[in-house]
Amino acid sequence: MEKILYLAHTQQDGTLPKVALETLSAAIQITKDLSGSTMMVGLIGQNIQPAADAIAASGASKILGVSGADFAQSRYGSDVKAAEAIANAAGATLIIAPATSRFSRALPGVAFRLKAVIDTHISGIQTTGGTLQIQRWYYRQRMIATLSRTARPWMLLVDSGVFPVWQGAKGTAKVEAVSVALSEKEQRTRVTGVEAPSADAQTIRPDAALLFVAGAGWTKKQPDGQTHSKEAETLILGLLHKAKASLGSSKSLVDQGAEGEAVLSFISHLNQVGQTGATPRHPKGLATCCHGEEPHVVGWRFINERRAVNLDANCGWAQGKADVLYVADAFQVMKKVNELLDKS
Amino acid sequence: MTTERQKMDVDIVCVGFGPASAGFLTTLTRAIQQDPTAPHFQSKVMPGMPLQVICYERADDIGFGVSGIVTEAKGIKASFTAEELSQIPMAHPVKHEEVYYLLDPVGASRRSWLLKMADFFLRIFKCILPWFKNEAFQLPFIPPFMAKHGGYVFSMGQFTQWLGSNLMGSGLVQIWPSMPVREPLFDSNRVVGVRLVDQGVEKSGKPTGAFMPGMDIHAALTVVGDGPYGPVGQNLDQKFGLPEGNHQREWALGMKAVVELPETTALKPGTVIHTFGYPEPEIFGFLYVYPNRMASLGIFIPSWLKNPMRTGYRYLQHWMQHPTLWKHLQGATLKSWGGKSLQEAGKRGEPFIVGDGFARIGEGSGSTNMLKGSGVDEAWTTGVQLAEGVIEILKTGKTFTKENLEETYLKRRRASWVEQEGNIAKKARDGFQHSFELGFMGMGISGFTNGTIHIPAKLKPVYEHVPSLEKYYQGRVAVDRIEKACKEANATNTSMHDALMDAAGWPAIQYDGKLLISHQDALLLGGKVQAAEGYADHVLFLDGRKCEKCSTKICIEMCSGQAITANSDGTVPLFDREKCIHCAACLWNCAYAREQGSELTNVDFRAGSGGLHSNIN
Amino acid sequence: MTTAFNIVVCGSLVPDPLQTLEPIQGPTGPALKNEMMLPSVLDPWAGHALFEAANLAKHHPGTKVYLVSLGPKAKLQQLMMTIAQKVPFEFVCLDGPASGFLDSREVAKALASAIEKIPGLDKTKLLVFGGYSSASRDAGTTMQMIAEQLGISDVFLGADELKVQPDGSFRIMERIEGGQYQISSCAGAPIVIGWATGNLPEPPNNPQVGMANMRTIMPALQKAQPAALKTDGIQYASVQLPQQQRQTKIVKDTPVEEIAKEIVAWIRS
Repeated sequence: MEKILYLAHTQQDGTLPKVALETLSAAIQITKDLSGSTMMVGLIGQNIQPAADAIAASGASKILGVSGADFAQSRYGSDVKAAEAIANAAGATLIIAPATSRFSRALPGVAFRLKAVIDTHISGIQTTGGTLQIQRWYYRQRMIATLSRTARPWMLLVDSGVFPVWQGAKGTAKVEAVSVALSEKEQRTRVTGVEAPSADAQTIRPDAALLFVAGAGWTKKQPDGQTHSKEAETLILGLLHKAKASLGSSKSLVDQGAEGEAVLSFISHLNQVGQTGATPRHPKGLATCCHGEEPHVVGWRFINERRAVNLDANCGWAQGKADVLYVADAFQVMKKVNELLDKS
Repeated sequence: MTTERQKMDVDIVCVGFGPASAGFLTTLTRAIQQDPTAPHFQSKVMPGMPLQVICYERADDIGFGVSGIVTEAKGIKASFTAEELSQIPMAHPVKHEEVYYLLDPVGASRRSWLLKMADFFLRIFKCILPWFKNEAFQLPFIPPFMAKHGGYVFSMGQFTQWLGSNLMGSGLVQIWPSMPVREPLFDSNRVVGVRLVDQGVEKSGKPTGAFMPGMDIHAALTVVGDGPYGPVGQNLDQKFGLPEGNHQREWALGMKAVVELPETTALKPGTVIHTFGYPEPEIFGFLYVYPNRMASLGIFIPSWLKNPMRTGYRYLQHWMQHPTLWKHLQGATLKSWGGKSLQEAGKRGEPFIVGDGFARIGEGSGSTNMLKGSGVDEAWTTGVQLAEGVIEILKTGKTFTKENLEETYLKRRRASWVEQEGNIAKKARDGFQHSFELGFMGMGISGFTNGTIHIPAKLKPVYEHVPSLEKYYQGRVAVDRIEKACKEANATNTSMHDALMDAAGWPAIQYDGKLLISHQDALLLGGKVQAAEGYADHVLFLDGRKCEKCSTKICIEMCSGQAITANSDGTVPLFDREKCIHCAACLWNCAYAREQGSELTNVDFRAGSGGLHSNIN
Repeated sequence: MTTAFNIVVCGSLVPDPLQTLEPIQGPTGPALKNEMMLPSVLDPWAGHALFEAANLAKHHPGTKVYLVSLGPKAKLQQLMMTIAQKVPFEFVCLDGPASGFLDSREVAKALASAIEKIPGLDKTKLLVFGGYSSASRDAGTTMQMIAEQLGISDVFLGADELKVQPDGSFRIMERIEGGQYQISSCAGAPIVIGWATGNLPEPPNNPQVGMANMRTIMPALQKAQPAALKTDGIQYASVQLPQQQRQTKIVKDTPVEEIAKEIVAWIRS
């Protein structure tokens, strides 16, 4: 029997982020699975009423909230204080929250203050024989652990793409305000803005259906003995635009910039998947001109359907890891793909 | 970023951290630990500080990318107790030895009529020969010169890591991996230190914004332990030449792997298996069993294998599948893989071991003994001998002149077993210049007569052992098939050995995804190669016109890491530093002399960064 | 106005990313097979943090950089050989496990208490750096817990840039969702930053830096305190390598047109 607190924050527009709605599904499921448990909701943001109304049908026994201008933006000092206050007010034994950048920063500090334990990057939750177990990856997505804890409170930060988005009717929710006063020390930081990537910058966009992974082969010498970086850029940008794909890159391609080699102008370390890069979740992934072993390949561990275009039939990036490997020249294939996408 | 070349003074600089340097540093630090305040162990360049001893190693960490070894461990056992040696991970005393002559189970091996006849009779009489099994003839006894009983099997990587860790723990020496040394610094004929490689350069060597010129490290003594193809040793040889009558015309590529044996394995730790006869008669093989079902295995491809399609990786796969080995290896998993050139000239390839300001130790100093198939113990011992000499020089307040080093280090070395056994081995393998049969006989005769008798031969420079493809494949592979393979290799920027070996009757490798995997996967799964940014290419094709004329392109076929590949127009091969495992096979696998009459080939192998990332080799 | 900082970088070793890893059940919980034999590197994110610290120190004379590492002493000694030539730092060594399976709270406690004990540390000038994640536990929680223990209320995670403004305040760029950056201004030290990859290249190896660092590294290793970490906080039911091996369909010797058609149909499906 647990006292569950589902904790979320609003976005700039007052709504809850998608991952928060996914995490709500998880919280509701756990409340159901652990019989006798109750769920409360805690919300943080400038104006939380619309968000509370949006999840009014979630079955929460109580909705607690910290709101006001001080809590509009993501700031460690104020976020920690707000979450701590809600958690104390709720007296929760389990705290479930989405792994947004804001909460990923703040909640570990809250856990410390509450003398709670915390697990992050949770990619699965289950109850076995009345015991709550979670799944998370270790060593950069190279091994998966199933674990549980007896200590309480236990705080769980759930990754995006793991649970279905909660869907329920809007309603009118009663929010119990929790008042939080910030000290001067907690206001030393001001958020001055958000810098969006420039319009032509290509980044990993979590909402894209397709992740296109470019490997170092794009900038290597081609059969005519020359490199064709410009052509590669055109082909890749063409595909990204036409297929509305997100762009990932292998580490070796990202690293080439520092070696004075011809590189693709729009690739930066933000595009890297695997190793020190991201492990994004997309329904589909298409890898081109990539080679690499396990640490690189983990970059597309969470891609559901995977295909690859490569000249080597035994490529470690593809064998046993992709569903289909096309052994062909990626320049020629992508040119044709772009032509066909244009037509359709 | 600094663009001015910096300079640093130390007392002793060591180049390369292998068993020789480890032997030197271990012996020296032990002496210092016994008497740390002794005046002769105080630094001359940093008054008030202890002796400043520094060692630079090219690889990204110490013990990376080396090899499995079996050794009598004479010298090593003199330095350590059995208790100490038992602390080395993966080490085990030798318990059981076997030597096999492998017959050719697939019929593609290059065998003389004499050998074919011998194979024929072995097969005919196999029912009555108790030593014939699984297409192999087990030698009923271990030739005494090959026996390693009482010795150890080691992972060289773990051995050097263990030594490095002990040395660093002493706080008396510093070992810096990931720091290639470019060349020695001379003051006339005196070596005054070394220059490190430039960093922050493009592959061509052109400085980038992050340029940092390689630092000059000045030292009273430069200890050269950078192996048979280290840049400092190579530079010294080019400056001083070799003593009269000496040459380095015998090389071999050791292509090795570490495997996890299947759970059902019957092989016990400490088992040592040596083979010859297959996949080509001249190719020797080994399998050493460590504790916990781990084993090191590999083959040696010699420079006198008159075959322009020498390809270590493919030959290793055929060797592993020989029934004698496959019965142990089926179901095994490749854990690590790599390759390294060995300077097999041994005593005959000995350079000037000492000179003003420098001393050479280890394989690059001609200590390897190819009759015994042993190099690590010898290298270690030369390091120990140098340390003893250096301590003597320091104690007497003398300087590191050629004479003083001769009187101390060289004198010890000349009086030791390393020298005596080196002399026995010196000409033992000359017969291989004629044929496998004579070579094998010669080894036996030399071994059993302690080198008194050998089969004489005139040794040719390495580039003269490369026949044309047409000549080599005459009667077996049509000329147009060779041309087609060449065109395909150029068009795909790859190599042609797979196509030609297939055409010559070698069965295609059926990959099992565990032990038998593609060369590319071996590089990714077991090779673990990485090249740091900001360093220049270290493999250079000096005269492009020679490459244009060259039709065999043996550098491509022999490249262990697929780092050298065919250029689209068939001219100067391409080099990819990111795949190079630093085996230096290209250095001696070239069909052209650098200049007429030169001992060197058209490929230059310089100081470079990166390579294998594995310490279980 | 230039400010001299006291920068403490928290970072330890992780297995060389090129190594094949296999989990086993150790005496106190999950561990890596042959953990003590695996070659190690400095955690890549902590490495970036260290390079950022060194860069800041270069531009702010008088700044001191400390590297606090928790790991097996013998492994840390080896690690020092590969990083000590990069940038100048003073080493603080905590002898203990570097396993990813430890609870971050335990790690944070050990690190924070080691930071507290650094002689002469000026907390008003303190910047605590670390990775915003690690290549072992990959939890992204340790830095915040260190901040809490040191009483620092300004924490930034996933930072790629820190600029010291003329008035002494900091401008910090943090990675947030959608490839965007949140820009914050903070009044000044003390702060805690969990770095992403930053924008600095790995510095070249400098032998003189190595020699200088080694003078503090060896004594630090020699007087390393054993760190007792509790390992009973987490009950691991299992730790496994992902088993799913996909059946890869290889399409070769097929015209480019065919392949392109198939790919487009798949993208559209």
